[in-house]
Amino acid sequence: MKIQNSLSTLLLTAAFLAGCATEPPPPAKAAPATPAAAAPAPPPSPAAVRNMISNCYSCHGTDGRSPGAIPSLTGKNAEQALLVLKEFKSGQLAATVMTRHAKGYTDAELEALANYIGTNLR
Amino acid sequence: MSKITRRDFLKIAGAASAAGVLGYASTARAAEGGQGAARVVVVGGGFGGATCAKYLRRLDPGVAVTLIEPSNQFITCPFSNLVLGGLRDMGSLTQNYDTLKKKHGVNVMHETVTGIDAAGKKLKLKSGKTLSYDRLVVSPGIDFKWDAVEGYSEKAAEVMPHAWKAGPQTLLLQKKLKAMKNGGTFILVSPPNPFRCPPGPYERASMVAHYLKEHKPKSKIIILDAKDAFSKQGLFQDGWKKIYGDMIEWVPGAKGGTVKKVNVKKMTLETELDKHKADVVNFIPAQTAGKIALASGLADDKGWCPVDPKTFESKMHPGIHVIGDSSIAGALPKSGFAASSEAKMCAAAIVALFKGETPAENSLVNTCYSLIAPKYGISVAGVYKVTEKGITEVPGAGGVSPKDAPDSFREQEAKYGAGWYASIISDIWG
Repeated sequence: MKIQNSLSTLLLTAAFLAGCATEPPPPAKAAPATPAAAAPAPPPSPAAVRNMISNCYSCHGTDGRSPGAIPSLTGKNAEQALLVLKEFKSGQLAATVMTRHAKGYTDAELEALANYIGTNLR
Repeated sequence: MSKITRRDFLKIAGAASAAGVLGYASTARAAEGGQGAARVVVVGGGFGGATCAKYLRRLDPGVAVTLIEPSNQFITCPFSNLVLGGLRDMGSLTQNYDTLKKKHGVNVMHETVTGIDAAGKKLKLKSGKTLSYDRLVVSPGIDFKWDAVEGYSEKAAEVMPHAWKAGPQTLLLQKKLKAMKNGGTFILVSPPNPFRCPPGPYERASMVAHYLKEHKPKSKIIILDAKDAFSKQGLFQDGWKKIYGDMIEWVPGAKGGTVKKVNVKKMTLETELDKHKADVVNFIPAQTAGKIALASGLADDKGWCPVDPKTFESKMHPGIHVIGDSSIAGALPKSGFAASSEAKMCAAAIVALFKGETPAENSLVNTCYSLIAPKYGISVAGVYKVTEKGITEVPGAGGVSPKDAPDSFREQEAKYGAGWYASIISDIWG
């Protein structure tokens, strides 16, 4: 199970990040995930999710279609997107800024963002 | 802005406001009721204003959006430091409004606003025209406190350019830099807080150093700073040492960095402790909210605009929203990225308010890349939420690039910086 997980993570990472595949390893040992708050946060409303995802477009392009060096958000299903976002948050997956961004969202918010990516960003 | 004609204008236009109130409980209903679409006017076509215009149309094509911007093109401050470094030309930083007009249906007017009548919900334009709105978004960027330092003025900026609004000033500074002798002294005066683009002066010093290292390696850069600390300080100082040796000297306020007086004829700058003579001076003045915000009573006594952090609606004048550098946005820095993020939240809030709904929870983000050398990029990131303390950074998230990262990491961030520029430009003007 564990092996299978890391294997699928690797595959997904490669698939999801495309241009990030050559990204350097993290310079220091990755920080552990921020402990979740005592009570699980309620899921954000659809309008709040639209607000959240719209900020992603400043780097990943409108509707996740990037015209430049930053990977697009398109072409992923919700499961793939969630796995990558969670691993950015935990620091398991090396990145330049995404580890810093992902820590700003609750697990429920990451799930909602992943669902939006899987459903709306084709 | 001449003495405000607002009071006179108020008298003339005061009666018109009552009728408009019924019109926009919902845009659909307003249209059905024959009262026309809800009207938003956006003042300023930069990172804040252009984003807000586009996203209003994306979120609700039933809203009529007019964008008022004096110039028919916009030269971005982000990446203008790279022109000084010889890595970009001005053309690559120049955006226009064609796509906003044609693809997104924004009514773009190349005009100047001369007065805002908040009570009457009307704008007065330089051409003499008057425009009515249901909600107004003001995104005028920054203006300068020209008289904050003795000897400096708008005229002095022709000798000691600020280059803090990209355009002719950028080219003027570049011209002076190119004319400087090898072994010359370039002095950058960094402004007191708060100001547009906190890492900007230090990226500029880096890009000037890159140019000088290649063309005039005996030269020196002195940063005279009113402050004792600055954005990404450790990363900048490490990078400077590594790439430029001792070419860049930073003098903080506590060590006499605050400039008290300049002399444009003698090219001298006086601090409490020293007198400096320079070959080229880049003087970045202290700043305030954009002129129209000050003239319309949208700013507080410190010169910046207080807003409701949930909607960016002005605390001074209801019905007017202030976004971007002019607004007081809590922990968010005054950056192009932040202005665009604020604009998206403001657009969503306006659309919700028109429908009689409560605006959804805000999510605000900032990411700022700075280039120390062509293959040496660094960044700062932040995720922000609205709490009872206003706009605050989500603890545990964000922060600057790691201190001891390998060269490959810096190179990747340089590449992603360029990627960010391409993306945000297409997200705003594309």
